[in-house]
Amino acid sequence: MGLTARVARAALAAWLLLPLVPLVLWAAADRWTAPAVLPQAWGTAGLRDAVDAGAGPASLRSTVLGLVVAVLATPLGAMAGRALATYRVPVGGAVLAALLSPLVLPPFAVALGLDVLLLRLRVPEPVGVFLLLTVAALPYTTVLMRAAYAAHDTGFEEEARTLGATARQAVFHVQLPLLAPALAGAAFLAFLVGWSDYVVTLLVGGGQLVTLPLLVASAASTVGNEAQVAVLSLSSVLPPLVLLVAVGLVGQRGRA
Amino acid sequence: MSGGTAGRRWAVLLVLPALVPVAAVVGAALVSAVLLSLGLTPLVGQPRLSLDAWRGAAGDLGTATLLSLGIAAAATVVAAAVGLCLALAATAVVRRSRLLGALAALTIPVPHLVGAAAMGLLLADTGFLPRLLGVSPDAWPPLVGGEWWVAVVAEYAWKESAFVALVVGGVLASRARSYDETAALLGAGRWARFRFVTLPLAAPALGAASAVTFVYTLGSYEVAALLGRPFPEPLPVMAVRLAGSIDLTVRPQAAAVAVTTAVLALAAVLLALRALRRLSAWD
Repeated sequence: MGLTARVARAALAAWLLLPLVPLVLWAAADRWTAPAVLPQAWGTAGLRDAVDAGAGPASLRSTVLGLVVAVLATPLGAMAGRALATYRVPVGGAVLAALLSPLVLPPFAVALGLDVLLLRLRVPEPVGVFLLLTVAALPYTTVLMRAAYAAHDTGFEEEARTLGATARQAVFHVQLPLLAPALAGAAFLAFLVGWSDYVVTLLVGGGQLVTLPLLVASAASTVGNEAQVAVLSLSSVLPPLVLLVAVGLVGQRGRA
Repeated sequence: MSGGTAGRRWAVLLVLPALVPVAAVVGAALVSAVLLSLGLTPLVGQPRLSLDAWRGAAGDLGTATLLSLGIAAAATVVAAAVGLCLALAATAVVRRSRLLGALAALTIPVPHLVGAAAMGLLLADTGFLPRLLGVSPDAWPPLVGGEWWVAVVAEYAWKESAFVALVVGGVLASRARSYDETAALLGAGRWARFRFVTLPLAAPALGAASAVTFVYTLGSYEVAALLGRPFPEPLPVMAVRLAGSIDLTVRPQAAAVAVTTAVLALAAVLLALRALRRLSAWD
């Protein structure tokens, strides 16, 4: 490999990594004044500040939000994906377009439009957030499961039926286990929608649902608490990252 | 089983549980925003059809629209260019870089809000980059909150370049390699292979990923809110500020901005779909 290619690849790696470096350094810095390239004092002040700001309960709320969205959006997306991939859905193109519409419309615009309505109907704020984020996650789960069902070989189910399995048994004991990797992927994406949402929780949550992203934003909008911002940011990146690597490893073992 | 009335009814039953909430939420949100912007469902006072909200927002709406389109276009161009390079390096026939592929994949689950916080710590005048380069805070250009929205564009370009790399890399990995090898065997040089084999194969995926990036950036709030300047504002920042105002009478203006953004996003998607159809017709 030539020198130019080597430099180009190093530049690309730097492009991807560089923004994350100050995050990691700041998270462990007690004192880091300019122009020092590395912190002058290492410590856990950032962690302490983050915990004081309520990082613990906020992570719990973010986890619950992600789980609720995953539990709602994964089966609904799987059913819709199944219908679109294997059956002749009336006006299928229009149905797919409608299911994908949350990807096109800005989330803040949908939240602003619906917020007034939810207020008038006296829908509790967290319920409104669950509803909006589930709708935001459905395009991902539907598209992923539609592709999975399109590539899925129905021969196994037919075989099971021939051997006397009921339709229900064929779905739960044959179809779903075969589609487990795709279902896990869909659930992961849906979890991520709930876990990392900011603007919908901000606009519709009415200040009741203080999740991790809300803490990150409020800490990052004031100066002087970089360590806390870094710790909060890392706490909202690491859990999904660990989940992603775990799912990847499980998937690889399944293939081997 | 897949044909006939029974199959159709079954298909409808399967698709409705997802379709009903999506259609209800999207439909109700759009109708509600349009009605509110036209003064028909005010939070205070009598309903009356008027364009007051649109007139009230009009002055800043033009600037905000241009600014939003500019930020989205700049971020999309950089993300597409860097993303394509990443995809090429991650799927190269000779010395494929697994590291770049893995780094791009790891960037995907980072929320844009965290990306914005990170960009702030990197690009501010006391940030990591000026320290690394040995530039004093006074001599550092105002990338965060500055006139050119550099930090905002950089954040979107950074995050979305990984997304572009993943989408384009997926296509290149599955299709391009065999064509590339054939072309090489037939004596095509590196540039000719890139220009006539790789690029045409990557173009539809690159176009689609760029369109997604553009539409996402256009409608995204948090990055510009955190790393931008107070004035002028892009559309999402303007809408959220108006919606959060204690003055309830400006709520219809927020709705007008939301409707404008939604229409722009929809128009961008329709244009992109038309362009993509033409692009894939080249195959």
